Amino acid sequence: MDYLSIESLQISYAQDNQITPALKDLSLSLPLGSIGVIIGPSGCGKSTLLSVLAGLNQNYQGTVLINNKSPKECDATALILQEYGLLPWKTTWDNVGLGLQIRGFSKKETVIRTEQILNKLGLFHLRKRYPAQLSGGQRQRIAIARSLVLEPELLLMDEPFSSLDALSREEMQDFLLELWQETNLTILLITHNIEEAVFLGQKIFVMSECPGTIIKKLSNPLAGDYSARGKIEFLETSNSLRSSLRGLN
Amino acid sequence: MQKIELMHKSFNILTGVIILIVFWYLLSLILNTPALPTPLTAFSSFFELFTSELMPHLTISFYRVGVSLLIATVLGVPLGLFIGKNKKADEFSAPLIYITYPVPKVVFLPIFLILLGIGNISKIVLITLTIFYLILVTTRDAARNLPKEYVLSVKSLRANEFELYRHVYFPACLPAILTSLRLGLGIAMSVLFLVETYATQEGIGYFIMNSWSSLAYDKMFAGIIAMGLMGFFLYLLLDAGEKVLCSWIHL
Repeated sequence: MDYLSIESLQISYAQDNQITPALKDLSLSLPLGSIGVIIGPSGCGKSTLLSVLAGLNQNYQGTVLINNKSPKECDATALILQEYGLLPWKTTWDNVGLGLQIRGFSKKETVIRTEQILNKLGLFHLRKRYPAQLSGGQRQRIAIARSLVLEPELLLMDEPFSSLDALSREEMQDFLLELWQETNLTILLITHNIEEAVFLGQKIFVMSECPGTIIKKLSNPLAGDYSARGKIEFLETSNSLRSSLRGLN
Repeated sequence: MQKIELMHKSFNILTGVIILIVFWYLLSLILNTPALPTPLTAFSSFFELFTSELMPHLTISFYRVGVSLLIATVLGVPLGLFIGKNKKADEFSAPLIYITYPVPKVVFLPIFLILLGIGNISKIVLITLTIFYLILVTTRDAARNLPKEYVLSVKSLRANEFELYRHVYFPACLPAILTSLRLGLGIAMSVLFLVETYATQEGIGYFIMNSWSSLAYDKMFAGIIAMGLMGFFLYLLLDAGEKVLCSWIHL
């Protein structure tokens, strides 16, 4: 049973009195508790796709179902943006508790849940700091905490580790994997990084240039294996993916 | 750390005051005219008149500026946020603001005196109108240029319009709003002086001009010192407000 199902998704924008298609006939599905990775050239509509799934864009044609509900009806999704989306004027504590506050949780419940998630992710000591006082990796962890505190079923991530240096990036990939193994979340992640796609994605979707559609679907048995990075199969899968992407240019 | 910063700031202010007084003293010696008394004469007059003559005028002036700043903020900030957030409202209002913003509002003083009388209302309306535009335009521009990423991230948490204003637009624009208030304060003090020189016998502007016309230059300078201190006090108040409300920009 697919948790996320997209059939013939189509999105167009009106630009300079012309209709420009952004996504065309895009279909993909993702089972519950799996990690899907979307990879494709810049400007192919990957972020537009996530905005539809997050319920931020309802001007689309086709069928999009998350646990048999439309994105607008489904409140079990959480979105993490490339630049983390943390508000600079709120402390870690307030940023993490913001979603709970917005969704009408009581003050007591907000405090309990915020404290729990910060402790779980080892961030409690940073609770009084503002985003400007944190490193890129810490900010990303806090953005993840802000999403997880809402206990989502589907986590959408838009190039979440692209601003990090190579080592922090690998650390965050391991961290995400740990979280996924603990929580059984369904994750859909966008990346430009081929190795990241192979390391994390049980299903890898390659998108075409604009108007974006899925041109290749790959099932990846190496995903979720911490020791995969050094294996020959990992390099082979990465190279195969690289060839697919080069074919687009 | 904060104590050191406060001491450093106090030291800077004190240095500025000393430089100003020394410059004033030298100028009064060079010009040697009763129209520019020495700082000692002016400050003696200031302390002598402070509670008796200056205080009632200062109170009314403070009331006029304070109320004007408050009304301009209450009107200008929500409107600026709304226009900056909504593209259609921005497109609709932009020509109107563009045409009316550069017009010096003080030219309307005679009209306001006729329509609203010679009491406080005409003066408050004129000061309010002058700083309202400044606050409106600054807030609108700040809201207009807000990074989309903040709006998207909070929208994705299922925030409604009110929550977007509360958690994103208002706090994000607050530093710009306080800057416009600081700039507006200087303009408000100038307009206050102008409006208090017409059709009134109350206010520090009147006190200064009345002392000038009766050739009481030491009293006139006592009034100037009082007006300067009032502006300085309000400026410090806004500064302290920014430190408390926007601590995140000073990290």
